Amino acid sequence: MFAVYKKELKSYFLSPIGYIAIGVFLFIFSLIFLLTTFNYGIYDMGNLYYSTAAYGLLIIIPIISMRAFAEERKSGTEQLLLTSPRSITEVVLGKFFAATTLIIIILAFSLIYYAILCFFKAPNLVTTLIAMLGFLLVAMAAISAGMFISSLTENQIIAAVLTFVLLFIPGLTGMFSALDLMNSYQKFPSGIISLTEVISLLAYMLMFILFTIIIMQRRKSIK
Amino acid sequence: MIEVKDVTKKYANITAVNDINFSVKDGEIVGFLGPNGAGKTTTMNMITGFIEPTEGQIIVNGYDISKKSKKAKKQIGYMPEGVPLYTEFTVKEFVNYMAELKLLKGEQKKNDVKKVIEETGLTSVENKLIRNLSRGYKQRVGLAGALVGNPAVIILDEPTVGLDPKQITEIRSLIKELGKNHTVILSSHILSEVSQICERVIIINKGKIVAVDTPENLEKKTKEKNTLIVTVEDPKGNMETLKEKVRQIEEVKLLKDNQDNTKQYSITSNEKVDLRKILFEVLPKEEITIFELKKNEVTLEDAFLKLIDLDKSQEQTNEENKTNKENKKEKKEIKEENKKEKREAKEKDKKEKQQKKEQKKRLKEESKKEKGGKK
Repeated sequence: MFAVYKKELKSYFLSPIGYIAIGVFLFIFSLIFLLTTFNYGIYDMGNLYYSTAAYGLLIIIPIISMRAFAEERKSGTEQLLLTSPRSITEVVLGKFFAATTLIIIILAFSLIYYAILCFFKAPNLVTTLIAMLGFLLVAMAAISAGMFISSLTENQIIAAVLTFVLLFIPGLTGMFSALDLMNSYQKFPSGIISLTEVISLLAYMLMFILFTIIIMQRRKSIK
Repeated sequence: MIEVKDVTKKYANITAVNDINFSVKDGEIVGFLGPNGAGKTTTMNMITGFIEPTEGQIIVNGYDISKKSKKAKKQIGYMPEGVPLYTEFTVKEFVNYMAELKLLKGEQKKNDVKKVIEETGLTSVENKLIRNLSRGYKQRVGLAGALVGNPAVIILDEPTVGLDPKQITEIRSLIKELGKNHTVILSSHILSEVSQICERVIIINKGKIVAVDTPENLEKKTKEKNTLIVTVEDPKGNMETLKEKVRQIEEVKLLKDNQDNTKQYSITSNEKVDLRKILFEVLPKEEITIFELKKNEVTLEDAFLKLIDLDKSQEQTNEENKTNKENKKEKKEIKEENKKEKREAKEKDKKEKQQKKEQKKRLKEESKKEKGGKK
């Protein structure tokens, strides 16, 4: 798993994707910082993370997850991966944790704003970290969904668009509210770790990781 | 040792590979030969565990590829068709990653990567991005990826496609070298390549194995008659009547009318008769001057085409048998005649199409070569 993980993480920064993801995150985070903290003096790190998760992840996650399997399939490198003595679970988890690490790196950048606020009055660090943890869990869940969609197609654009739809529609209609990740990011921003939210995010994550593994296994006999 | 037992691969409407059986011994170089779409790549993908057979079993060095896949895959180095590579990596990074995927660690990994890069002649470009390498080098990188970790079995899907002649000979000699310590399976539709490198050839057509033998035996097997090619000067036109004068001759065919008054004929006799001596005695008496006389060797190419043709005709006779049983005797003759006519027409069409295709291919290849030469 570690070999795949290392390679994937490296790939993010050998291609523009890693930088684009960081850039988009910082742009949206700054925008919200400007609109709330800067303009109205709303002194709430949790709100910053909440808003970025609601709008920013819709863009960041498809960018990160679209290539996971689609690119490998298109270029044929999937064959190298699947004929190596590594199990599909190892490959899927390696890719998943590489993307997770990218999110952690991105989150580290958000601490700049914490530092800025420290000049005036330091926000509660624990509350901020809990909000970040929640953000990470939501992002991980979204990545697992994106990875699953990427495993269905060999076209990265299709993967990105479908991932966007899967993340966007449930929040919009309320019909599929069970699939709306933001439903499970209500208490984190105010510094509360709710077991319900954690479990529902972990379940979402686990479900799509399993789906991805199953799809990859099944493709062996369909292909 | 690789054993492929009763393996079938079916897709929704097509049977890509149909009940094939063969085994490859340790240290053998085996070539898969077949026209495009014959099932070569599918078979290789099944041996390497990339896809699963619908039926049957594949055993690599004692491990079943679908049950003990990890152990079986460890035995195999695979270079897939089209040589897929992570182009954003440098050569060294790529080979290193392939080594890690193959569970190599620490000192052994380092040494192996270094050794393989040297073996494939990549030392001078090891720090270049794969994206910027030429086709020939990319092919070598793919080969290096397959070789790293010293797997017992090496499987190469069309390893010489798209290379220039010099690179082809290099890769070939490399493969031959590999054959000394590894079991090698390679696929190709270039016949001369297979006959040069491989100890045994497996000919596949339409998902079925048509023949398994050494290149020499295949040539012998499909050889039926002795054919001589003679170039003569024949001012009186006596060649046409030669068949009546020499009993052993079965056929005299004009091949080419050269500009310099000479003509090229093919003369066919029964396999046991050697016509060369007779021709030397008879032709001067007929006032025919021999310019050139040579044996027409059956090439692997002929063998291949013949085997595939045989395969086709067998299928047709099978079909005929089926239809015969179904039809009543009275209708039978008429229908058969009609069908034969249709078939013949179809065959003609097919042949014509094939010929045209081949011509186009040749033209393309020639123009490519010319371009290559200009470069």
